[in-house]
Amino acid sequence: MNTTDRILQVEDLTKTYGKGDSKTEALRGITFDVLEGEFLGIMGASGSGKTTLLNCIATMLRPSSGRVVLRGQDISAFRGGRLANYRGKRIGYLFQEFELLDNLTARENIALPLALHGNTARQAEGDIQRLSALLDITDTLDKFPAQLSGGQKQRVAAARALISNPNIVLADEPTGALDSKNSKTLMDKLATINQEEQKTIMMVTHDAKAASYCSRILFIQDGRIFHELRRGLGGESVAAFYERIVTVMAQLGGGSANVL
Amino acid sequence: MFFKQVWRNAASNRKDNGLFFGSLVIAIVAFYTLLSIGEQDVVRFLATIESHAVAKLLQLIPVVYMVSLFFVFFLVYFACKYQMDSRRREFGMYLMLGMGRGRLFVLLCCETLWNSLSALLIGLPTALLLTEGISLATAKVVGMSIVGHQFSLSWNGMGWTVCGFVLVQMLSMMILCIPLGWAEPAKLLRTDAREGQRTACKSASIFYFAAGMVLLLTAYCLGIFQLKNFEFSVVTLLVALGALGTFWLYRGLGGFLDRHIRRTSRDQVGLATFTRRQVQENVLSQHRALAVASLLLLVSLSCLAYGIPVGVGQAEGQGAAARSADFSLLETAEVSESFLARNDVQEMIQTAYPVYLGSVSIFDPDHPEQYDGDGVPVTIMDYTCLERVAREVGGDEAAQYPWNGLFDYAIPVSTYNRVLKGMGKEPIQMEENEVAWYTNGDHYTVGITALLEQAVKRAPTIGINGKEYTFLPTALNDNVVADRAISLQDALVVPDRLYAQMVQEMDRTMPFCWNIRLSDQLVNKRGLMLAIQEMTEKLERAGVQNYDSYLKGMGRNLFYTVGISYLTIYLGVLFLLIANTVVGMKFLIQQRKNKGRYATLLLLGAEVEEICASVRRQIEVFFLLVLALAAVSSGAAVLSLFQSSVRGIFLGISSSFFQVLAGGTLLLFAGTEAVYIWVVKRAACREVRILDPTDRR
Repeated sequence: MNTTDRILQVEDLTKTYGKGDSKTEALRGITFDVLEGEFLGIMGASGSGKTTLLNCIATMLRPSSGRVVLRGQDISAFRGGRLANYRGKRIGYLFQEFELLDNLTARENIALPLALHGNTARQAEGDIQRLSALLDITDTLDKFPAQLSGGQKQRVAAARALISNPNIVLADEPTGALDSKNSKTLMDKLATINQEEQKTIMMVTHDAKAASYCSRILFIQDGRIFHELRRGLGGESVAAFYERIVTVMAQLGGGSANVL
Repeated sequence: MFFKQVWRNAASNRKDNGLFFGSLVIAIVAFYTLLSIGEQDVVRFLATIESHAVAKLLQLIPVVYMVSLFFVFFLVYFACKYQMDSRRREFGMYLMLGMGRGRLFVLLCCETLWNSLSALLIGLPTALLLTEGISLATAKVVGMSIVGHQFSLSWNGMGWTVCGFVLVQMLSMMILCIPLGWAEPAKLLRTDAREGQRTACKSASIFYFAAGMVLLLTAYCLGIFQLKNFEFSVVTLLVALGALGTFWLYRGLGGFLDRHIRRTSRDQVGLATFTRRQVQENVLSQHRALAVASLLLLVSLSCLAYGIPVGVGQAEGQGAAARSADFSLLETAEVSESFLARNDVQEMIQTAYPVYLGSVSIFDPDHPEQYDGDGVPVTIMDYTCLERVAREVGGDEAAQYPWNGLFDYAIPVSTYNRVLKGMGKEPIQMEENEVAWYTNGDHYTVGITALLEQAVKRAPTIGINGKEYTFLPTALNDNVVADRAISLQDALVVPDRLYAQMVQEMDRTMPFCWNIRLSDQLVNKRGLMLAIQEMTEKLERAGVQNYDSYLKGMGRNLFYTVGISYLTIYLGVLFLLIANTVVGMKFLIQQRKNKGRYATLLLLGAEVEEICASVRRQIEVFFLLVLALAAVSSGAAVLSLFQSSVRGIFLGISSSFFQVLAGGTLLLFAGTEAVYIWVVKRAACREVRILDPTDRR
């Protein structure tokens, strides 16, 4: 594998909360790479450290030790303006609760990361239209979030995450607040974007169905990488990959080998 | 454990909510200042000479106090709501951990009482200092030697302040606790208290915005052109149109801003669109609060604009410089002369002189038979030139004024010069063909005083018995008698020879009164008040019944000065305080509700300082929206005032002094606003700086 293919390198990442007796180690030295154009899933039980891992990569949390290298730069050491320049521009975010600003229209929400980095919506009108068409939200651009369905909101959030053409999109349980139909629509769209636009996506999820769209899945337990699944090279179907994921999850969540 | 928790929570509330706590302290200071008015030096002094009027003023205080309590209740209610909203999760936790709702209620009441006590401990000593300061300052303005100063503590005022303040606090807390009693713990635990985004209906917002503008403009026109004599129907209509117009304008403003933002947002960078949307959202959801705050600021500005000139201006007019004579004896010449000839009286007086003034025997062409008798002078006055010049200056307004009979009274120049000499002023030089206009400036017809002031500058003439006399270019207004309240509205100061031709025999030979001015040495030694009291005793003992004293007239005027200015300034300050606190609290409540947005902005690449700049801008615009309309409406109100019959309050004030007063009032107002805006900005930015990007809910 060529190092230039590695868009993100996570090196021996640890995160500890509290001190003394109340010390909790959420991450205990995690190391992995994310390749350009990859759709990586992170799965694990509650409290396994997967959201802490995503927050460290997203620069929302500062790791206790280790490095997060994005395109050759250690973003975990960034501060102030340099950090702000990376957020929203090099990294796109997709959250479980959408996190749209509900007093901005869909168009204004999508254009916000651009505006924060000095570009106007008019300059990016072409990109807004293209992403809107791709995510099927063209008719909702002038509406406020309160006037949109959950699925539409999440697709607007996806457009906002993609508008500044980031190196990587970090998604935290993006289907967590959606019904199964809207979840499927969203995952189909994300998979299309991943495949057609070679956009790198890293997604934390509980949902085996959502995870089955990924090309690789890392399973985390007690702050360490416990297992790794890759989609079969011969074009393994989503359904078959799903079966394998469910099996690993059963083992992680209390298979007979794990009974205490 | 319970009381430790109360103490800790109360301290945390005060720290987190300095703006509210500061406002409470100011409210206490205002309450005590109002309630202790009876103990003020000036009022105590007034009570000795105008007891009936002072009693009426003191009867008015409870009404004003109740009105203040009513408004302060809203201030406290909003602030408590802000605190309760930010502690919902904490209350949910208490309930989940098994705390009974009753115990939670007691906890909140104890916290409120503890905070009230803290505010009282700071507010009451501050109020005492302030009232002593006001008392000293007023005594100094009026003349320390007149009033005197005495430290006073109003136990009654203190008691009512404590009762009212605690009552308002507890009442708002109880009202806020009612929904808390019904809320399920799960609902309280959910920290996301965001309301659904309100969207403005396009046609409705256009209607309200346009209708609001029309109503306000109508109210302004009504005020400027129709509010001359404060007719009840006009005032009612004006208040209704103004208030409704203000409410509708703010109601439609949100939609107006929405269209503006949609038009311009595609070309904006940074947080410009976000900032505008935040302002728009605040306007949409808080339009009633904005309207109420704007109206309160308007009332506040009007109260201050009225109260300060009345207070400072009239106090200036009543100062030592305006004292022309200390007593006017209205007795017969024999009684007056024999009293003044006494040695013990002579020792006390600087000067005593007869004052001649008489009514002019104006010829009435409809009843010529009245003037047939011998020795009755007939005065035919010709106002043609004065009227013509006045018309040149004042146009139609002058044309409508009934000029014939303007000067009913005449004063010989020798008498007026004696008055001036007694005051230590230079006498006026008047030729045989000259006259002067004397006025106390208190005309019932709007604008006539100013018009005449302009007219006499052009040296018009007045015909008296066929001969033209030229007006001296300045109006005379030094009191010719001791009591200002009985001074003349208009009179003609004329050469002595002409005076003799114009008035009847009695007025020519018998003085109207005898003026007495007490010796400067005595006044300096004993103080004016004691010196006048001493002379009064002598007059009473000598059986002199008919006299007026400077103190009596001054007391009456001081009563109006103190009563009106004190109450209007008090209400002005209180409304200013409440309006600003409501605007500030509303903004901070909204910001806290939407703090997740700021955390999302951090994640999307906004810097903390960039967000702080946006918040500061939002606060400036939010306050500006309230202030702008209040300022425009105040401008219209001041214009109305200058057109109306209360314009007289400004007459005693020179234009340069008026400018200083207006500038000072505006500076005080702007300073208060700047302080409030600064405090709200500081609180809002502190909230942004402690935000964590992971804290989006």
